[in-house]
Amino acid sequence: MTLLFVSALVFVVVRVLPGDPAELILGVERNPETLERLRRSLGLDRPLAVQYVEWLVGAVRGDLGTSIQYDVPVGRLIVSRLPVTLPLTLLAAAFMIAAAVPLGVYAATRYRRTADYVAMVVSQLGIAVPSFWSGLLLILLFSVQLGWFRSGGFEGWTSGVWPGVRSLLLPALALGLFQAAVLVRATRSAVLDVMREDFVRTARAKGLSERRVIALHTLRNALIPIITVVGLQLGQLVAGSIVLESVFALPGLGRLALGAISARDLPVVQGVTLFVAASIVFINFAVDLAYVLVDPRIGYEA
Amino acid sequence: MRRAIILSALIVCMFALVASTAAQAPRALVVQTVTEPPGLDLTATPASATAGVVLYNVQECLVKVDAHGKIVPWLAERWHTSDNRNYTFFLKKGVRFHNGRELKAADVKFVVDRAMNPETKHPYPGYYSAIGDIIVKDDYTITFSLKSPTANFLLNMARQGSVIYPREAVDTLKSAPIGTGPFTVSDWVRGDRIVLKRFPDYHVKGLPKLDQVTYRFIPDPNATLAALKAGDIDASMFGLGPEHVADLKKDGRFEVVVGETTNDVIMAMNNSRKPFTDVRVRRAITHAINKQDVVKLAMFGLGRVIGSNVDPLNPYFVDLANAMPYDPARAKKLLAEAGYRDGFEAVLKVAPQYYYTVRAGEVIVDQLAKVGVKVKIEQIEWGQWLSRVWKEADYDLTIIGHAEAWDLANYANPKYYFRYDNPKFQELFKKSEVTLDDKARREQYVQLQKMQVEDAPVVFLFIHPRLLAAKKGITGFWKDIPIPSNDLSEVSWSTPR
Repeated sequence: MTLLFVSALVFVVVRVLPGDPAELILGVERNPETLERLRRSLGLDRPLAVQYVEWLVGAVRGDLGTSIQYDVPVGRLIVSRLPVTLPLTLLAAAFMIAAAVPLGVYAATRYRRTADYVAMVVSQLGIAVPSFWSGLLLILLFSVQLGWFRSGGFEGWTSGVWPGVRSLLLPALALGLFQAAVLVRATRSAVLDVMREDFVRTARAKGLSERRVIALHTLRNALIPIITVVGLQLGQLVAGSIVLESVFALPGLGRLALGAISARDLPVVQGVTLFVAASIVFINFAVDLAYVLVDPRIGYEA
Repeated sequence: MRRAIILSALIVCMFALVASTAAQAPRALVVQTVTEPPGLDLTATPASATAGVVLYNVQECLVKVDAHGKIVPWLAERWHTSDNRNYTFFLKKGVRFHNGRELKAADVKFVVDRAMNPETKHPYPGYYSAIGDIIVKDDYTITFSLKSPTANFLLNMARQGSVIYPREAVDTLKSAPIGTGPFTVSDWVRGDRIVLKRFPDYHVKGLPKLDQVTYRFIPDPNATLAALKAGDIDASMFGLGPEHVADLKKDGRFEVVVGETTNDVIMAMNNSRKPFTDVRVRRAITHAINKQDVVKLAMFGLGRVIGSNVDPLNPYFVDLANAMPYDPARAKKLLAEAGYRDGFEAVLKVAPQYYYTVRAGEVIVDQLAKVGVKVKIEQIEWGQWLSRVWKEADYDLTIIGHAEAWDLANYANPKYYFRYDNPKFQELFKKSEVTLDDKARREQYVQLQKMQVEDAPVVFLFIHPRLLAAKKGITGFWKDIPIPSNDLSEVSWSTPR
């Protein structure tokens, strides 16, 4: 249902936008007859509803159409960009969780003490600095000054795992740290909420060490809101990758979508949006499943 | 003892080997370009990103526009015309396509026939509209009969739409084009790079000088600068802004080339919309704009001020930059005469995809305010610009660079988005298109340029400069860009890296 709504919305929006793919292809010296012929061959002359239904029938069968710009099936184009965007998003998510959860828990345990304030100021900074800017700063430091990483581009997985990871490390860092700043705050408040619960007091009264109280009793119970936020942020990471793929010149899904929008490559815009929407639906589903794993009290009826 | 001698001899040999490879200049080059080509078929797209990769590198034409803007023989070693109606081209013998087959006159006929066929959706059908018959006399001789004399016929045969390719490779033009050029397309990693390799059977001996050229697509100018400084690219051809030039010039590792182009940046005024229907208003606007300041503030002083739409690389160029000088008092007087003593309001539409349009617009808005013309800037996306401004002429003012060479035709077309309609100009332009005597044609072009000053159909601002930054020790780039091509055949590393 969600997917149907998203696809219809995108379909209408990209067609209502002024700008005609045929015009963009032929440029400013085209003659009107050529333009009409091209519009006909792209199927742009037919009613909107007919175009949508045709596209939908194809999409259900797994055929997302052919890119106007590249003349390649859209599905193949998306698949070819996944080896960049998927690891980039996962790596960024790993950075995000690895940085944010410990910091958030630490800040909560030092509630209203110096360390807590420092952590909050740092995360505020992280939220305020846009990721394309931190990306550029990372390039200046690690590529221009130190020469440890390439300044951009993607070396591909064919030459091995390390060259691939190396191309993605800096953008993933820039992307992950920005989102981490948000997650720190969410983790901190979730942990604080749980720490006020009775069972935490009981655990402490039992004489458990503070570390065990935090790790076993508090964090486990704080995980539900944290996972919810992480799930939402995974969607944000996909959106953020559009910007960072441009800064780091990575051939990913985001840049494919961006280029397709400015070229009015409608089948690609639709295909990528549908794919991203489907991934987010899938992530939400995975988050729901994760709840069950974390909290046995939650169950789903078959 | 003997073992020691052999060992030391081996060591000496190894050192010699290492030394010789180290002293050899590299033969591969990585260049940056902003946009990925939408496809590599020059007969299907007018994109300059495509021409920047393919034209003169992968595919070539019968004749070529050289680095100085002169038309020189190329795949045709010479041509002949006695009446300016029938052009006979004599093809160079032994020219091979990348697939190994020799270029024959029948290929040329096939290519031009296909360009003229409306079914192929060629982007520049107008280049070939005067052609009547194409006669293949033998494998190396071909004659074009024109229906009417066409002064730019040879130029059109050198342009990006006129590249020659083998008929058997028509279906792969978009992704893996074949031609006769110095480089072959070896690999295209969508979204990242295009790799060209040296074509060993190239018809010009000693060229190309490089074994491999990699075009990397980096859209962001700051990322481009970082890539250059980090050593990930050897040269940036279009990716840098004028703000980076001073910084790079100070850095001893790089060389910056600032050259001329055919890209006239203009501020168009909608001649069909009030108050721009009045020539006094258009002249007032021109007098109110300090072009030197626009170049200084928007382009960091890089870019040549112009007075008409004929660029300095054109042989008929006349310097009219000061014909309508900056004179706000005169502008106010003209506005008052036209009935706009208190000025008026207008909207300036610009597309931020072209950074200079926004920057120049901000300076101009400020300057026009001083004569009472209140301009509001509206930023629109490129696709919208094409349909709203260019196609429907739904605008007051807009700024854009017109990159095509020899593009006075736009001013002779009253339906063009300027909506400039002067029958005298149209008539003279038409005459110049069929005048073949160089002296007479020059006279007509001088007249046309003067008429542009008089009528002020648009404000002619400046030439967008070519900005090329490369590591020191690379030679052979074209300084000026008389045609949208990045001919890299003569580029080489002069010194070891």
